[in-house]
Amino acid sequence: MEIAEFSQIVPENFVEIGDTSLRDVVDLSLARRTLLPRLDGDDFEDEVELEANLGNRYLKPIPVVNVGDAVPVFGVDTSNIELGETKEGFLCAIRGSIVGRENQAYQYVRHGPFIFHITEANKQYLYNALRQKCFDVDEGVGAPILERMPEHLRNILERWLQKQLSESCSGALLLWDGSLTTQTVNSPIPVLYRLLQAARTEDNIVLAFSKKTSISAFGRRVNDLIDDREVPCLLDIDDVVRGQYGRYLRFFGKIYVVKLMAGSLSFRLDIDRRLSQAEGVHAVESLLGSDLVVDSYPETLRLAHVLSRFSASEVIAMQRYVAEKYGLRIIRRPNVRQILFGPYGGVASRRS
Amino acid sequence: MMQIYKLDGNTIDVVSCPPRDVRKGDYVLVKDDALNRSLIVQVTNIGYANVPGVLEDILRDSSAHKIAGRDLDFLDVKAFVDVIKDAKIFRCKVRRAIVEGQISHDVSWTPSRSTSQLCPLTDHEFLELVGSREGRTITLGTTTGGAAVAVGLSTIDGKLNIITGKKGTGKSHLAKLLMLGLIEQGGTCVVFDVNGEYVNLGYSEDRQKAALHDKLLVLSPGKGFKVTLAYTGLGVFMRIISSVLDLPENSAWEIRRIWSSLAKRGGLTLTNLRKSIEGVANSYVRDALIRRYESLISTRLFTDNRQEASTLEDLMARLREGGALVVNLQGLPSRFRHIIVEFMLSKLCSLLDRWVLRALFLFAEEAHLYLRKTYWEDIVTRMRHLGIFSTFVTNQPDSISDSIYRQADNVFLFNFTNENDLAVVSRATMVDVETINVIARELPPHHCLVLGKVVNDFPLIVKIKRLHVNTMGKTRLFFTKPSEQKGLDLHEQPGIRPRGEPLPPPVYSR
Repeated sequence: MEIAEFSQIVPENFVEIGDTSLRDVVDLSLARRTLLPRLDGDDFEDEVELEANLGNRYLKPIPVVNVGDAVPVFGVDTSNIELGETKEGFLCAIRGSIVGRENQAYQYVRHGPFIFHITEANKQYLYNALRQKCFDVDEGVGAPILERMPEHLRNILERWLQKQLSESCSGALLLWDGSLTTQTVNSPIPVLYRLLQAARTEDNIVLAFSKKTSISAFGRRVNDLIDDREVPCLLDIDDVVRGQYGRYLRFFGKIYVVKLMAGSLSFRLDIDRRLSQAEGVHAVESLLGSDLVVDSYPETLRLAHVLSRFSASEVIAMQRYVAEKYGLRIIRRPNVRQILFGPYGGVASRRS
Repeated sequence: MMQIYKLDGNTIDVVSCPPRDVRKGDYVLVKDDALNRSLIVQVTNIGYANVPGVLEDILRDSSAHKIAGRDLDFLDVKAFVDVIKDAKIFRCKVRRAIVEGQISHDVSWTPSRSTSQLCPLTDHEFLELVGSREGRTITLGTTTGGAAVAVGLSTIDGKLNIITGKKGTGKSHLAKLLMLGLIEQGGTCVVFDVNGEYVNLGYSEDRQKAALHDKLLVLSPGKGFKVTLAYTGLGVFMRIISSVLDLPENSAWEIRRIWSSLAKRGGLTLTNLRKSIEGVANSYVRDALIRRYESLISTRLFTDNRQEASTLEDLMARLREGGALVVNLQGLPSRFRHIIVEFMLSKLCSLLDRWVLRALFLFAEEAHLYLRKTYWEDIVTRMRHLGIFSTFVTNQPDSISDSIYRQADNVFLFNFTNENDLAVVSRATMVDVETINVIARELPPHHCLVLGKVVNDFPLIVKIKRLHVNTMGKTRLFFTKPSEQKGLDLHEQPGIRPRGEPLPPPVYSR
């Protein structure tokens, strides 16, 4: 599939639901407030940060060789940002990018920004409406706490983009930002599972690069244990991680440490568990022949990240947009931390 | 929308987003309804607002530029981002206030940042607010927005004006415009014309006699214009021979004695003067006097022939209803120019002192070429009281001393790009350095920044209007055909007029 075809797929749900959230503040608070007992948060939870300790175990690096066969590579990334607070809640924006590399040329499609007005009153509606419309799930679930809503909405967009790629491409490497892990073990058919299945059906291979997992052995970062002479290579840490976290998490991917270039950086790499190790290694080898790799990280993913990120001027622009189009006024609430601790209050940081 | 961003001294930074079409030199009204007051501020510099994230946007755009792609920006947020990126900061200087409907100098109060309303003043609104309400005016030209700018006569009458800017920007053109305007209103002007640019002002561009033709008298010293020793008088003669020709004191005493003796006998002629000098016993004094005498004779300004001689009284009488005496100094040796100017100024002072003349407007182009610097200050201080109101025109601002700048009532500042020139002007003029440095540097040709009384102390950029007379001020070029060089008529230059071509230069002849 040509990347240009993705621009034909319009995420109407995000546009419409975002518009509704901005337009019908009052209506939503009265009519759409429904309390659901069970908390969801599995498929659309922000990536779980892991700390895997290999102990004194020796892991033999699996060499990876650039075999030179080029396949289409697509990377997906999304970002979210808060635009400010309103009387009822707060505004946030999400945006996602797909970057593809084929015939040694990069192309991209950027979806968004989509702006949402999130309030206690409408968060159930927002979360479930998006979830149901994007992934054809019927059951309603409890929305996350208000402060975590932007990340969850962003993840819905990310999964939706991943779904489009999984279903539309064939014979491609699909690079996702994050891991193939979900928190809730009991979830009947997680969305992630279905995405991987769709990818498999179309002969696509999903490689998920995570920056958040820290892995150590012998009290040192695992990166320091991989000799630069052995790169590019993989370290199979699947047993170790599952041994530590298997009770709490569901792993849809086999977990590796990947170091594709000499240097100081290595990443956790999840490869679809249904593939054999040989198929997984071959997929990484295909990646080396199909994409640029800088600092052990694929360029398509880096570009997808750069393109989806919001700048400060875009935030100002979106604030003006909602003020002009919807008459929503952003207010500045007193910062409790700042009041209490002054300069020692620290900086509240949010992922974007 | 425009909002106050910062206030520092008399500088206000205004944020404009989306950016208004405001240019440097334009005026903005800062209206504080709660205080029932407004500030009139002038935009002196414009920059982009330092919006956070713009650099990130630019860098990202430039890196994504090489990648083909499509933005599905369903909300059209990019249009808003573009507006943010283009947000501007107008740096403004507070010029005056409006308190209870009246223009006031009280700018000590502070307008509200949150509630003040800012709106650019159109040229018409601005001129309506601050413009001259005098009946008699001279039209200088138009504002950048096209509104006519007329200055009241009273703002030029009795005032000291400086016209400065680099060459080719239109200084002389403005001087001519002012002079013709004054003549039209019945004023008397004297011009020291170094480059012979004023001699054809009596003719239109198509070489027909212009309306003011008869009000312009061109004096060609040593040719059409000569004077007798008796008319010159001992005082003027001594000033020329001492100041210009540097005659030592002893010799000056001797010539004074000779002059008095000849005058007493009624024999004050050039011939008798020469004879008497030759009779001086002291050879050093004699030689010194002879050399000065020869210098004077070589100018051909002096004559013993009464029929050939003129008097300024006669000439001025012809300009009683207004007119200009153009003293053509073109092509004259430096010392001769000094002699002529010394003679003219001395005699004009005498006429003013005796109330033969009520007052006059003196236009001095590149005066450093024929006047000592100290003499300028004399003109500005002493002669001003006698009724000589000067307009200095120069492309070398440092040739005018700071003390003169400080006394200037009006400065017409054309484009300068040289840092040193700008520094000289900004050091001494009546507005802040930033206004001069930023605005003067960017003025296009024939646009000037007018400062002073003529604009009620509101600096204003004026596009000087065209004159439909033969101004001749254009630079003569080698590689451009005469026919392509409008305004420069080579046919009018002496010695190269083709045979059979009419239009003699309108030189005054007795």
